[in-house]
Amino acid sequence: MASPSPVLVVKDVTKSYGDHTVIKNLSFTVHAGEAVALTGRNGAGKSTVLRCVVGADRPTSGTVEVLGKPVSETSAEFRRNVATVIDDLDFFPDLSVVEHLDLLARAHGLAEADALVDEVLEEVQLVPQSGQLPGTLSTGQRRRLALATAFVRPRKLLVLDEPEARLDVEGIAWLGTRLREEMSHDLAILMASHEPSLLEALGARTVALGGQRG
Amino acid sequence: MSRGRNRKGRGQNRPAAQGGQNQAAQNSVEHQGARPLESKDAEIADVALPDLIIDHQPEEFWQGEVDEKQLLLLMGDWRKGRTTRNIWQALSDGYVLLFSLAVVLAMLVSLIIQAQGQAATCSATGCRTARELLPWAALAGVLAFAMMAARIFGPVLASAAEGFWLLDSPINRSRVLVNRLWVAIAAAFVGGAAIGALMSALTGSSGQAIIAWTVATGFAACGVVAFAAAQQGAERVWTVKLVGGLAGLAGLCALLAVVGSASGWFHLEITTSVALQSAWGVAAGGVLLLIVSGVLARMRLNRIRRARLMSGGSLAAGMQGAAFALDFALMRDILQERDAVERGQVRPTRGRGLGLQTLVWRDVQRLIRFPRPLLALAVTAVVPYAVEALGMGRFSSTISALVLVAALIPFFTTLRVLSRTKGLMRCLPFTTSQVRTSASVVPGVLAGLWAIAVVPAFHGVGSASHTPWIQAVMLAVITAAAGYIGAIRWVSAKSADYSAPMVATQMGAMPPGLMFNLVRGLDMVALITIWIVLGLSPWISVVVAVIAYAILRMGGINQEELLEKQKEAQAEMARTRRGGSGGAGGSSGTKVVTRKRR
Repeated sequence: MASPSPVLVVKDVTKSYGDHTVIKNLSFTVHAGEAVALTGRNGAGKSTVLRCVVGADRPTSGTVEVLGKPVSETSAEFRRNVATVIDDLDFFPDLSVVEHLDLLARAHGLAEADALVDEVLEEVQLVPQSGQLPGTLSTGQRRRLALATAFVRPRKLLVLDEPEARLDVEGIAWLGTRLREEMSHDLAILMASHEPSLLEALGARTVALGGQRG
Repeated sequence: MSRGRNRKGRGQNRPAAQGGQNQAAQNSVEHQGARPLESKDAEIADVALPDLIIDHQPEEFWQGEVDEKQLLLLMGDWRKGRTTRNIWQALSDGYVLLFSLAVVLAMLVSLIIQAQGQAATCSATGCRTARELLPWAALAGVLAFAMMAARIFGPVLASAAEGFWLLDSPINRSRVLVNRLWVAIAAAFVGGAAIGALMSALTGSSGQAIIAWTVATGFAACGVVAFAAAQQGAERVWTVKLVGGLAGLAGLCALLAVVGSASGWFHLEITTSVALQSAWGVAAGGVLLLIVSGVLARMRLNRIRRARLMSGGSLAAGMQGAAFALDFALMRDILQERDAVERGQVRPTRGRGLGLQTLVWRDVQRLIRFPRPLLALAVTAVVPYAVEALGMGRFSSTISALVLVAALIPFFTTLRVLSRTKGLMRCLPFTTSQVRTSASVVPGVLAGLWAIAVVPAFHGVGSASHTPWIQAVMLAVITAAAGYIGAIRWVSAKSADYSAPMVATQMGAMPPGLMFNLVRGLDMVALITIWIVLGLSPWISVVVAVIAYAILRMGGINQEELLEKQKEAQAEMARTRRGGSGGAGGSSGTKVVTRKRR
């Protein structure tokens, strides 16, 4: 049986800041329906790899390809296929929780946006906060909203930076179930995580980062 | 005494500490008469407990009274103790910058004197009315702004550190805060007086009138700030909002009166002596308000809640940080975020359209939800009429476009949020230029409507000389375009990059783009309208505007990206060279590389 085609290919990626090398010759692939977790201590370079994968940062050398094409953050096709929840997600100060999700669903051309938004809103337990402006949400609720933005749009690759951060125990359990479901629909997942229970729930392949710095 | 007891206490516990930490902890807790450790606690204590010594009795802390003045002096000493240079050393280090500022200020003063001379010679009815009414409009504007700022910041405020460490202690808060109150009032006087003087000078008023309006606007501004402080002590916000709103309305009426009179819709004659007397009357009213409200505010200082004081302080700290980076857009973001938090909740509305259309529809829905900026935009349409009425038609485009930049900024929320961080932009399945274009549609339509509204001003309605209608339309469109493009640049320009190599200056290391932050947005206005000021063909302005818009639509010139591309091209060339050197067909490639090397 032929293995599924790779969604993400990271090949010989090195990232340096001046003389300081954070990542050296890192290579891995993520296939459809597979979850890969980057693990390692703080400062090991997990977020740096994710930033290179989503195009927010460029590797010093090496290549990153998504669906056979080099990563380009400004490409509409790339943005259509890759859903990201990393640290730099911002919100409109004057749009409510539900309006954010509605905007994203419609921007991606989903005709049945209302039903999907209601469903995701319920799933992330933000129905009571649907009319609230993001500035009034707690950090955990903001995290749930950030995760929700990834679920109201079409996607082939999901990139998550410590998705369990600021979630309660119940939230982490929900996330595990949800991501497993995503994988069953052939979604590829790349995530950085410190949460063993989440990695176990997903059966994620682990890429351990963390040689000595410099 | 307490220190002595403390040392004694430590000494008493030391043997226990040597015998084992847990025992020491238990001893010290028991010494305070606390309940014995229960079994569950004991388990925790087995793991690790610090050498806990609680040896003070509560009554020890009630000795003597705090002298607030000494406390403030002590804080001053701590702050000064950390400085490495005094103010004169800092100024002498930055003498080049100071010289540059002095030159720019001299140019501004010269421009004001020139404009004042030009306006003073104008004796048309419109000019005379504008001369008498515009200081009133400025006064009202200053009052509205002072009330708004006072409400947002406090006006009496305290930093987070002071709030946590100082205000929680048993001190007389009013003695600590009283200087803050006077500083806020004094700042209002200086700011108000400066704007009053500037406006009356620009309208060509006499020396006496300039002095009268300077004093009047200054005292009125500090009077309303004192009023806001008195209301802060009484925990009342609606009065401040009401007075601020009334002041704004009065300013709008004054501007409309200028336009109506200049356009000949009605006749309004105010003699100079009446105007002068009114100015002194305003000054007297301001002083009275200042005294009454000042006394009330001083009496109520003790009643201001700590949270309220710290809220203003944290806002001021955020604004200060943004101000150090000269990032005015970030300052606005902070205020907008504060406003959103105060609002808290909105009635959600479902979006309309799909794809890019939905971004445009959201901007329309924003307009319906927050219509206040529309009022401000409508008011700015009066500016070209007022400038023309003062006989300064040549500067009309530049001045009006600058005001329009400020009025259009609130309509660019989508573009601002999508420009400042890339996270949300990455969620949208469009190219950068597509998003920028969609996020600029609604403000563009509003700028177009504004242009239509100001065409009569550029035609010269109400004045003796008329510009042909076609040229008036062109000037109106150029002015609107300059304001529109200036606003796009203001909201979407990149902040100074502190991670990039710094430039060494006499004031210390600075990121290269820092100084450009000062003029961002304004540079576009100058670039587009300078040709009109110089009396050259307006078509030059049109061409410049089109080029500027095309560049901004793409997301500006990204130096980093260009450098990356250059590096990639060099790497590609190196690969070609390596490949070419080994093969028979590589001779031409080698030649190219050799030429490049030279």
